[in-house]
Amino acid sequence: MSEKKLYSYTALFDTPDKIIHAVKSVAEKGYTKYDVNTPYPLHGMDDAMNLKKSKIGWVTLVFGLLGTTAAVSMMGWMMAVDYPLVIGGKPFFPLPSFGPIMFELSVLFGALATVGVMLFVLFKFPNNSHPMHDTEYMKNVSSDKYGISIEAIDPKYNQDEIITLFKGLGAESTAPIYFDEEELNFKPTILDKKFLGFLAVVAVITSLSVYGTMNIALYLPPFNWMDDQGKSLPQQTSEVFERNSSMLQPVKGTVARGFIPYKFDKQPELAGKLLVNPLLPSEENLKIGKRKFDIYCSPCHGYLAEGDSRLRDKFPNPPSLHSEKVRNWTDGRIYHVLVEGQNVMPSYSKQLSRNERWAVINYVRVLQRSFNAKESDLL
Amino acid sequence: MPKNNGKNIWKSIKEYENDPEILKSKLEEFKDGVTDDFNTGGMSSLSRRKFLAIIAASTAYATTSCTNYRDKGEIVPYIDRPEEVLPGKPNFYASTFSDDGKSYGILVKTREGRPIKIEGNPDDSINKGKIPSKVHASILNLYDPERLTEPTLDGKEISWDKANKDLTDKFSQLALSGKEIALITNPITSPSTKNLLDELQVKFPNVKIYTTQLFNDCNRRSAWMKSFDSNVVPSIKWNKAKIIVSLESDFLGKEGNRIENARLYAEGRDIVNGNGINRLYTFEAGMSLTGMNSDYRLKLKPQKQYDLIMSLLNELLKRGNVNESYFDSAILASIKKYSISNFATDNNLDIKKLSNLVSDLNKNKANSIVYAGDILPSETHIAVNLLNEVLGNSEMYDYSKAYISFGQQSSSDEIKQLVTNMNAGNVGAVVHLGSNPVYEFAQSFGYSEALSKVETSVALSEVQNESTNQSNYVLPQSNILESWGDHNTRTGSYTLQQPVISTIYNTKQKEDVLLNWISKISEEEAYSNYLKAYFKENVYSKGNFAADFNTFWFSTLHDGVASISPKVVSHPKFNQSSFVNINSNVNGFTVLLNDNYTIGHGQYANNGWLQELPHPVSKVTWDNYAAISPSTAKELNVENDDVLKINIGDREISIAAMIQPGMSNETIVIELGYGRSNSGAVADGVGVNANLLLDDSSKLFFENATVSKTGETYKLVSTQEHHSLDEELVKDLHRVRNIIQEGTLDEYEKHPEFLKEHKHEIFSITDGHEYNDVKWSMSIDLNKCLGCSECITSCNVENNIPVVGKDQVEVGREMHWLRLDRYYSGTPDEPIVSTQPMLCQHCDNAPCENVCPVNATNHSPDGLNQMVYNRCVGTRYCGNNCPYKVRRFNFFDFRDHFRDEHYQNELTNLVNNPEVTVRSRGVIEKCSFCVQNIMEAREAAIRNGKEFNGDGVTTSCQSACPTNAIEFGNSNNPDTIVSSHREHNLSYHVLEELNVVPNVTYLAKIRNTYSEDV
Amino acid sequence: MSSEYTQEYSVVEGKPSLRSLDEIISKPLNTKPELKYYLALLLTLTMLGIGAIGLSFSLYYGTGLWGNNNPVGWAWPIVNFVFWIGIGHAGTLISAILFLFRQKWRTGIARFAEAMTIFAVMTAMIFPIIHTGRPWVAAVYLLPYPNQHSLWVNFNSPLLWDVFAVSTYFTVSFVFWYVGLIPDFATLRDRASTKIKKVIYSITSLGWRHSNRHWRHYEMTYLILAGLATPLVLSVHTIVSFDFAVSQLPGWHTTIFPPYFVAGAVFSGFAMVQNVLIFVRKIFNYEHIITVDTLEKMNKIILLTGTMVGYAYSMEFFIAWYSGVNAEQFAFVNRAFGNYSWAYWIMFSCNVFIPQLFWFKKIRRTIPFMFVIAVFVNIGMWFERFVITVTSLSKDFLPSSWAYYSPTIVDFSLLIGSFGLFFTMVLLFAKALPAISIAEVKAVVDGAQPSHHEEH
Repeated sequence: MSEKKLYSYTALFDTPDKIIHAVKSVAEKGYTKYDVNTPYPLHGMDDAMNLKKSKIGWVTLVFGLLGTTAAVSMMGWMMAVDYPLVIGGKPFFPLPSFGPIMFELSVLFGALATVGVMLFVLFKFPNNSHPMHDTEYMKNVSSDKYGISIEAIDPKYNQDEIITLFKGLGAESTAPIYFDEEELNFKPTILDKKFLGFLAVVAVITSLSVYGTMNIALYLPPFNWMDDQGKSLPQQTSEVFERNSSMLQPVKGTVARGFIPYKFDKQPELAGKLLVNPLLPSEENLKIGKRKFDIYCSPCHGYLAEGDSRLRDKFPNPPSLHSEKVRNWTDGRIYHVLVEGQNVMPSYSKQLSRNERWAVINYVRVLQRSFNAKESDLL
Repeated sequence: MPKNNGKNIWKSIKEYENDPEILKSKLEEFKDGVTDDFNTGGMSSLSRRKFLAIIAASTAYATTSCTNYRDKGEIVPYIDRPEEVLPGKPNFYASTFSDDGKSYGILVKTREGRPIKIEGNPDDSINKGKIPSKVHASILNLYDPERLTEPTLDGKEISWDKANKDLTDKFSQLALSGKEIALITNPITSPSTKNLLDELQVKFPNVKIYTTQLFNDCNRRSAWMKSFDSNVVPSIKWNKAKIIVSLESDFLGKEGNRIENARLYAEGRDIVNGNGINRLYTFEAGMSLTGMNSDYRLKLKPQKQYDLIMSLLNELLKRGNVNESYFDSAILASIKKYSISNFATDNNLDIKKLSNLVSDLNKNKANSIVYAGDILPSETHIAVNLLNEVLGNSEMYDYSKAYISFGQQSSSDEIKQLVTNMNAGNVGAVVHLGSNPVYEFAQSFGYSEALSKVETSVALSEVQNESTNQSNYVLPQSNILESWGDHNTRTGSYTLQQPVISTIYNTKQKEDVLLNWISKISEEEAYSNYLKAYFKENVYSKGNFAADFNTFWFSTLHDGVASISPKVVSHPKFNQSSFVNINSNVNGFTVLLNDNYTIGHGQYANNGWLQELPHPVSKVTWDNYAAISPSTAKELNVENDDVLKINIGDREISIAAMIQPGMSNETIVIELGYGRSNSGAVADGVGVNANLLLDDSSKLFFENATVSKTGETYKLVSTQEHHSLDEELVKDLHRVRNIIQEGTLDEYEKHPEFLKEHKHEIFSITDGHEYNDVKWSMSIDLNKCLGCSECITSCNVENNIPVVGKDQVEVGREMHWLRLDRYYSGTPDEPIVSTQPMLCQHCDNAPCENVCPVNATNHSPDGLNQMVYNRCVGTRYCGNNCPYKVRRFNFFDFRDHFRDEHYQNELTNLVNNPEVTVRSRGVIEKCSFCVQNIMEAREAAIRNGKEFNGDGVTTSCQSACPTNAIEFGNSNNPDTIVSSHREHNLSYHVLEELNVVPNVTYLAKIRNTYSEDV
Repeated sequence: MSSEYTQEYSVVEGKPSLRSLDEIISKPLNTKPELKYYLALLLTLTMLGIGAIGLSFSLYYGTGLWGNNNPVGWAWPIVNFVFWIGIGHAGTLISAILFLFRQKWRTGIARFAEAMTIFAVMTAMIFPIIHTGRPWVAAVYLLPYPNQHSLWVNFNSPLLWDVFAVSTYFTVSFVFWYVGLIPDFATLRDRASTKIKKVIYSITSLGWRHSNRHWRHYEMTYLILAGLATPLVLSVHTIVSFDFAVSQLPGWHTTIFPPYFVAGAVFSGFAMVQNVLIFVRKIFNYEHIITVDTLEKMNKIILLTGTMVGYAYSMEFFIAWYSGVNAEQFAFVNRAFGNYSWAYWIMFSCNVFIPQLFWFKKIRRTIPFMFVIAVFVNIGMWFERFVITVTSLSKDFLPSSWAYYSPTIVDFSLLIGSFGLFFTMVLLFAKALPAISIAEVKAVVDGAQPSHHEEH
């Protein structure tokens, strides 16, 4: 026992009056490092120990106010700054609506802070390694005895004096309290195998459960996120129709609004005679024409429609559009080529809308003109 | 030198001159030097392939573990995109919908070649782009999961070729044996089909054609024939008439072309734009839509209508308003027998109203119309013709839009004859050409027994029905949207019908089948070619058109209507000898069997949308019922839902009672078309088959019926609670709370601002938000709204509204975004009815928005109260706080829940509008002012770089409203109709005092009644 | 706990030794319970099971399994929510408000009442989540947390206020309760017979040493918590009442709701606590700690609050008439004489008439009487919430949208389940933790405090 490190020396009393009296005299003797342990707070003990009133109320006040400001700034920012929305015609910063939550958060912050500070800052809890634990002394004071303990580090500490003092005060029993060896030498380390193992297990379990919920469980019925709706969008599949596509060909021979079929199939000359270009070579039309020409025509015909292009030699070169022949063609005749194609050139009616075709033709005219400019154009 | 198909291709002079270096270089891929000092040893041991593999693998791991990526299925683009189809952009096809001998020009909205909505075709000269509910909803028939898919012989699948071959062989045999081939069809509206039938009769002379239609206008026609010796029956210029007297005729709800009637009638009530207003008198036994809208409604049994007309004539004579010399002695004598006062007392009608009517008729000679209902006997019709004649009302007849019919409706005698022949075995084959006689014919014909005696019976039909179940050959018929056709139901209107989707199943349209029978043609375009040829011959070549045929044909297909000039006949002289004198005395209960407002004569019974559409008057869904007057109900001590036994002679049915205010006493009105069997999951067992009360005459009302309580009850469900009218607590609440605001004509004329007089001064502690750009508003003119419910159906189709089924309507969970509220005031016997379309009011200070905890509903910058479905958690708080109760909650995934997933399948899903969310269970939904249309218009404006001013946006209810009662637009623009209506003297908001500032304005109804009787 | 106690007459009958108090109070923790305990537990667990089945059905198939319909968006789940929150209020009131008022008779029942608060709030908190259409979304979206389009929650909505109020209420009451438990845990730790118990109690007691240097902060903190909990408990039911009062619905949109709800809450809460305590004191022989005087005092409060509620009922009618708004007047006439009048009169008689019997001392002090009356009070208070919620919704502004509400079997199962959950937790608590605050009771035993008072 002797080599044990002494923490304090204690005495137990069996009535409130005795302990009060004892404390008073201990205080008079000038001890400072002492404490009283009672199963319930004894009235008058604070004065006996000359302790001042607890200041913990300030914590509550400060954190309470913090809660208020936190609440109002959070709500204000969300509703008026980050994503302002008109809601029921109310202003973006509806202060009256904020009242309840401001109050709630103040209370929450205040309460939690107070308790937190008391337990973890003032009391340094949790602390089960205090030498007093598991002593007879503690067993008694937590039930029906009133104890006092003077710590060994008290400057005026003198064991024999204290014992006599306690005896004199009518202590029921007195006993020393020693530090627990294990507690003293206990050094926790991160690299402890058990600890690491524990971490690993936690990691695995959390990741598995998170993955399971987020990617599997949440997509089973009844969960429905409206991400897969009972309607068919472009290019979606559908078992109802052949080639499993929900996109169908219109019935042969039908006419959709705005799409009267091309009447001159296989009749280029007639087309040339009857079709007229509905578009004026206005600036915007020419712009459209140029854009479309550069996209669809230029790969073969070249940007300048000379028939000399990036695809040179990949297959027989397309003719230049500046030839006498093409220049003498009517717009309608060229239009026919765009619709039906010619030789290796396919139809472009899928790529170019009707107006775009005419616009392209206008642009081709411009190109032709620029290649065969007359002096009059210069003026 | 390489040879490419004979041409010399050379890149440079050197090559042209065959420089050896060039030739050499052409043999190697890389030029000299390109591949020098390229030391593979210096490369990393980790090959590129390995490296990529590792990268790929790690990415794969990463993605699978860290994302919740889920496979959204494969993507199938167009291989060969048709010119007109742009994925995601709708196309419109003009076509025609025909049904029950009427036809409607339609515009079918398609997406990627699939029809998703049927709209009216504005170029249609008759209907002006409006169509009835059944046409809106019929899109569901195209995607009906229970369509017939393959031809069957006694239930076993066979090929079309076999079926056609068998039948043609059979027919030719019969042609030899001379046995009859009975072909029973619904009324034909297509000239070319008629032509085909004629050709069929030429091929098989023993083919006999029977045309049946349960609700027909035979009486009117025969009466017209007798009165005027002409079979051209004109339509009525309702818009011109100042006084309209409707005798047991629901011309606004059911009869004739009611879409057209409604439009013209409403034109006559355009009080809002300061035009005149007509006055509508209705004499009827039941409570019909027309009766609901009339200024004066008098209860009269159908048998008494004749007496009414005679009494009116008598009174007119007595007052010297018409001159005796007009009538021949016989008529004069019989007129003298009647007197209006006696008539009034006999039928306890208000004599004052009657004499008002007489003076109205006299004041408005040539400007009024007396219109008798289809079910009235032809004698009454003749009398009516006479009355109109003496009043000079022939002005109101419109011969430029006269009715055309191909093939006379078969008389009941013909049917009797047919049945006897069938029983006698003289009928070799029966062909049901889309018709369903087993269900429709009166039991007393004994048709279905006779049918079993016929050796070969054929049924063409889209879905199974009573007749297909009794036929050996069941041939699946194509849907209207899969078929070609032409229709000519009115002079001056020749419309074309084109398919908007190629047949989904192995079906054919009846014309193709007929063609095959006639001339063994069986290729795809058989009928379309025939049609084209027929059109060329009979339409194109008749009128002399400038354009060549192709141009004309295509432009006609494009427009849907052929522009042909009608040949107008002049009004013939009335033939007095046609007049017949009848005297009717009513005894016992009178039973009227009526058409119904939603499912036709039963052909739409398998359409959930229509079954769930509330009855415009009683708001009952999913059932038919015996409507009975409150006082008669009291006598028999009958409550709602009590099952009544109704006997007419030996015919009897049991059906639940519905106490209908305003019915005439000792009268039962039952709507037909219900009680179908083996006709599909939706149709079966809904309502009671009242056709069992029909007898072998073509009459639709009967007397001497007996009615008794069975003691059982059967739950009728309605979308609106019935409150008894004499309960003090709830009486006239809609007026007390200014939900419905109305006035009479002269009140309005005396002080136009009478509505504004009791306005509340409302203030708010906050100042509202500014909407500077576009602000959406709607106005609803209650003078024009008839309560016909077209808007509801159109909305259902546009916005993917699910069918919830009877059980859910019973617990008040119907999902309609737009409902038509019906309020009674006055007494149970003489109720005054008001209807009011109620939809989301898109309030500026929307109460629903305040209470949503998750901001799932909030306000858009253009003043819409919008729903974020995917944000909604379903607290239903918004619904609670909505004063108009227009928010609907998905208590289930109703597509799952209804008839266990009946409408939840690959095919039916195609009916859903791709632009509208298909809401899941547990979210609130409501009217969005068709925000998808708004956004489409906005996108278009942006694409064309124009500033969006809100023009040209229509909501689907608006475009569906036959009377244009609904207007929608930008109320920030003072030139829009909406903003002018908001300023109008008659404008008001429902529940104004709540200061929620609704954006739906109602225009108060003005009743054209004499001031003293309000 | 405060010295003034010592000037009052004794709350704890007889003068038990402090150690014997330890014995009595920790007895249920150390002894194996008798059969009747297991029977009780079996009963409550069955009820809980029924609820669980009902709940899983409605989660799988949807809220459609309940009676709710389109006008009546809120029905039983919300009624249960408000009911249970109300039950909770008594606990905080007893432990906090009575503490501030230095009512030392509270010591015997405070701990148990607080526990009931916590359980009641837990039970209540289930309903707002499950009553939504998509609970799995609600659980996330109701927190101030932006969705993928960075959309926030709506702080205008009373439901969101609820989220904060109820969760704060739960947290604070839990902390309050736990702080009170710490010294008792310490006591139990030092009495612990088995190792496992010792470990558990050491952890839960955080190493409390009954040190006076701690006691002094502890007492102050306890006072502060009481001070915070008092306005909190008032605010919570006020905010719950806002769910109704802030909306526009006739019959909901009334300013009297906050006080009316709080009174009602205390009313029903006390009734429930009284019911439970009557059993507890019997089963665990706490008669001399939870005395009849204590129960009588509770009955007095029940009488008081009941009368306040009665006043509120009549005031509502007056205001409705006085407002001159048709819809408002109709709503109340309809409550009393419409097709839900049966519910209204059950509510009225249970809440207003029956408690009046407590004017008689005899009835106040006889266990069976007071028990039955308290049961009636709870029935009545449940119906009060039903009447408020359902009648107003079923007939509001537009007669066209009126509809009658009737509950389904699933609604019943959820109600039963909520009771099952609550009482299961109560039973487990009574078995696992000191049902009476040891330290506090010791402090009020006669002679537990120093006898001389020269400081004062």
